[in-house]
Amino acid sequence: MRNLKKILLALLIVLIGLFIGYNYLYHDHRDISSEEAEIKVNAEKLTKMFQLNEASTVLNKTVVVWGKITEIEDNTFTIDGKVHCTFKVLPASNKIGDSISVKGRCIGYDDLFEIVKLDQCSIL
Amino acid sequence: MKNSLILLSFIFIFSLNSSAQDKFSTKQGTVFFEANVPSFEPVEAKHENVSAILKNDGTFAALALVTGFRFKIALMEEHFNENFAESATYPKITFKGKIKDFEASKLTEEITEFTIIGTFSMHGKEKEVKLPVKVYKKNGIVYVSSQFSLKPEDFDIKIPSVVSKKIAEEIDVTVNLQLNKM
Repeated sequence: MRNLKKILLALLIVLIGLFIGYNYLYHDHRDISSEEAEIKVNAEKLTKMFQLNEASTVLNKTVVVWGKITEIEDNTFTIDGKVHCTFKVLPASNKIGDSISVKGRCIGYDDLFEIVKLDQCSIL
Repeated sequence: MKNSLILLSFIFIFSLNSSAQDKFSTKQGTVFFEANVPSFEPVEAKHENVSAILKNDGTFAALALVTGFRFKIALMEEHFNENFAESATYPKITFKGKIKDFEASKLTEEITEFTIIGTFSMHGKEKEVKLPVKVYKKNGIVYVSSQFSLKPEDFDIKIPSVVSKKIAEEIDVTVNLQLNKM
């Protein structure tokens, strides 16, 4: 009887260990749309942050950025010609000239086009 | 009469000039890489926000922001950014080069193979490469694709022995770009 209890306890510990291990290895991706944004700025300011060498404060962070849509291409918006936002599905109702706020993950500064890029974007 | 001739020749010269400087570009190019080893979890990632510019004479530049590579497994993505590519220190992968014997204005809908010679810059290291590229043009859009292999060691990226069995020594890269006229 006591042996059985020990075996059951050991089994339980192993199961818990496996569960924790599995959750660590296969934890979910970040859900940017439900994360609280660490940085909230307009498009111009976000670009400036990279020019002022403050990249580390925004890289891979969830940001909220606002401005006017200046370009729509495939599943992306460009805001004020400075911030390029990629959506999984492009919101159909927005058009060029609209003022919007977008939440997304900042992946860095693109010096070919001199724009900041966001992915996993959602409209606020 | 003379004036209009001069004007006409100006327009002619100008139009020649503009075609010589035609540029094609994208901000949504895709790069896919895999370093799979059979019977282990697939090591692969996709980037759908790669920027590229191609000039009429074949001059080419591309840029991928390292943080933009998406893996299926979140932990793998974290390890890639923190331990291998070190995206906080080296946020960009760039390629600069020139396609040999190329003229964008002469492209057709037929897929043509070219060679591009250029330099990869990644993880603080540079490497000169010669790669095959397939190019064609349809409805004014230039399509560029390439497949090649890279070695992490060429860019001073060390794979710890604990995981080295799970990551292939050569990384297979596939690039697909749809370049619109700028």
